[in-house]
Amino acid sequence: MRVAYYKGCLAALSAKELDSSTKALAPRLGLELVELESVTCCGAGDIHEAEPDYYLHLNARILAYAEATGADTLMTVCNVCTLNLRQANFQLQKDEDLRARVSANLEAVGVPPYSGGVEVKHLLWLIAEGEGYEKLKQAAHKGLKGLRIAPFYGCQILRPSKLLGFEDPDRPWSLEAIIEACGGEAVDYPAKIKCCGFPIIQAREETALGELLQPIEQAMEAGADAMVTPCPLCHLSLDAWQQKLEASTGRAFQMPILHLSQLIGVAAGLEDSELKFKRHVVPVTPVLEKLEA
Amino acid sequence: MTEAAVHIEPATMLVRLKIWRFNAQTGEKELRDYEIDAPEWACLLDVLDLIKDKVDGTLAYRKSCRMMICGSCGMRMDGKAVLACKERMKPIVDSGHVPVISAMGNLPIVKDLVVDMGPFWNKIKAVKPWLDPGYDEVAERERVVSQQQMNVIHKEALCIMCGCCVSECNSMESDPDFLGPAALAKGMRFVGDARDHDDIGRLNSYNEEHGIWDCTRCYFCNERCPKGVDPRDAIAKLGAESIKQGIDHDMGAKHANWFVTSAKTTGWLRETELVPKTQGVVSAIKQTKFALKLFRHGKVPLPFPPHVAEEVQESRALFDLVKQQGRDGALGIVQGERGLARIDQDAPEGSSGGWGSRDQADITPGKRPTRGKGGEA
Repeated sequence: MRVAYYKGCLAALSAKELDSSTKALAPRLGLELVELESVTCCGAGDIHEAEPDYYLHLNARILAYAEATGADTLMTVCNVCTLNLRQANFQLQKDEDLRARVSANLEAVGVPPYSGGVEVKHLLWLIAEGEGYEKLKQAAHKGLKGLRIAPFYGCQILRPSKLLGFEDPDRPWSLEAIIEACGGEAVDYPAKIKCCGFPIIQAREETALGELLQPIEQAMEAGADAMVTPCPLCHLSLDAWQQKLEASTGRAFQMPILHLSQLIGVAAGLEDSELKFKRHVVPVTPVLEKLEA
Repeated sequence: MTEAAVHIEPATMLVRLKIWRFNAQTGEKELRDYEIDAPEWACLLDVLDLIKDKVDGTLAYRKSCRMMICGSCGMRMDGKAVLACKERMKPIVDSGHVPVISAMGNLPIVKDLVVDMGPFWNKIKAVKPWLDPGYDEVAERERVVSQQQMNVIHKEALCIMCGCCVSECNSMESDPDFLGPAALAKGMRFVGDARDHDDIGRLNSYNEEHGIWDCTRCYFCNERCPKGVDPRDAIAKLGAESIKQGIDHDMGAKHANWFVTSAKTTGWLRETELVPKTQGVVSAIKQTKFALKLFRHGKVPLPFPPHVAEEVQESRALFDLVKQQGRDGALGIVQGERGLARIDQDAPEGSSGGWGSRDQADITPGKRPTRGKGGEA
């Protein structure tokens, strides 16, 4: 399947390990990635809040360049990109007047117009069912030796379900299906669908850490060896801010956090240079040692 | 013989529920099982009425209109805030699932399913929930407000103040003083009202410490609202109006503005500069130790040379172009609502109105769960 690949800001910068593992994994999952080069940030909800009309145009521009590749699917690897692009896409696809105005503006600055022919899908959705899932099972030949993995969905891949709609936002199943296909054991806990606090981690750190505590604490209590998330913002919060959570609560968590593509990558036998675990703040070594034992 | 003489008994079903009983005076909590015959058309509220009437008169819950407009019967079913009068029980009974009923979250429980709405009303009062027309004397002629002007707040005006959004607000769980989705949606209902003359005063007040920038964008409020208010979108509209009016002193607003600057200059988010641009240089220096640790793991990319998107001049030109077209502020969000409203209309016939039902089957990896028989929550 040929898809336009939009990696977003984090995979391009602070979460390069997400980009490298996604690219290494894609051919084994039957995905041909056409990387979008001349695109920008989706605005991450911030431009939607600060300059909403600009947000719509920036996302229309990304969608237009995706459409120009000839692919009918724009693949994302971030919850926030997924929601922002899908929201803009619905606004444009279902309102011809709005689309005409935005397309005219795009053309005025030299961008191809957007006709509404692209669907935005997260990598998770492409491999949780159907052909992608069958390919995943073949790719994950090394398995995870029953490793106990806590799925953490985060918010903007589930809610609002009107705009996301892949699965029941209160009882999602896709990460669990993937963990099990890779030979791991999915650990269940209530906060797997809640917020990691990242959007306000700079402006309201204390409130954000209060949110971050729930999933990490519950995953630990459920006996997880590691957590996996489809969102690099959740990853940054869970991994990089975990030390601040340890400092503020006086507790030791040391919970390794994996990107979705890394979890599958481990089961598929990707190289260290593709998985790049050294870029994590919380060491992943205990997980890797368990697998080698 | 007239048709009216024929009496048909409605078909009934056996409904099973678990209800969290709670006594605030003694602190006693108990999950109790109930079973009752109910008509097939019964909603959750009908079933509770039957239980109270025939099984256990001590069960406490609030109700009034029974038709989704008074906002009294907010409670949780399987951990999800709902209006009891809106939830049909037949599909749940057919699936074999036994739902767990409990009181709403983020509010103190008085008894069983009744919560103390005091903190909720205090926050509503704090946003000045009345129209301030800016004059004392009534004008000689009535003021006509156009449909276009009312469209700006048509969603916010639908709120019935049931508290379902507040129940699940993730930020409020962590900061109980957060004004929260219901109060802020009410605030937008007046900021966006063409007849109100205190939008600046309101925006300044909503920009205070526990105001709009506390929202963590978890979207639980949009998901739970039984009336389609979409409180998160209302909060975004307040943010957009604040920034349009130059009310951008909060770190949340500075954070949002930095994304706009990044998109215009390099295209991608300039992550490394985000902390000083949001929190100020002094705060950023205090965080040096934390930043250095992140730097060692490549989490703080060097700002030089900047990571610049190809053809970034297009995104700069787009910014200048849209700024001339005057759809800033809340209008930029309102303009998208027409398209989004059509998503519901396009839903396939016979669909249950979206996800969120509890009658889901056990999961078979690699296959979509069917909407059949489900397991216990």
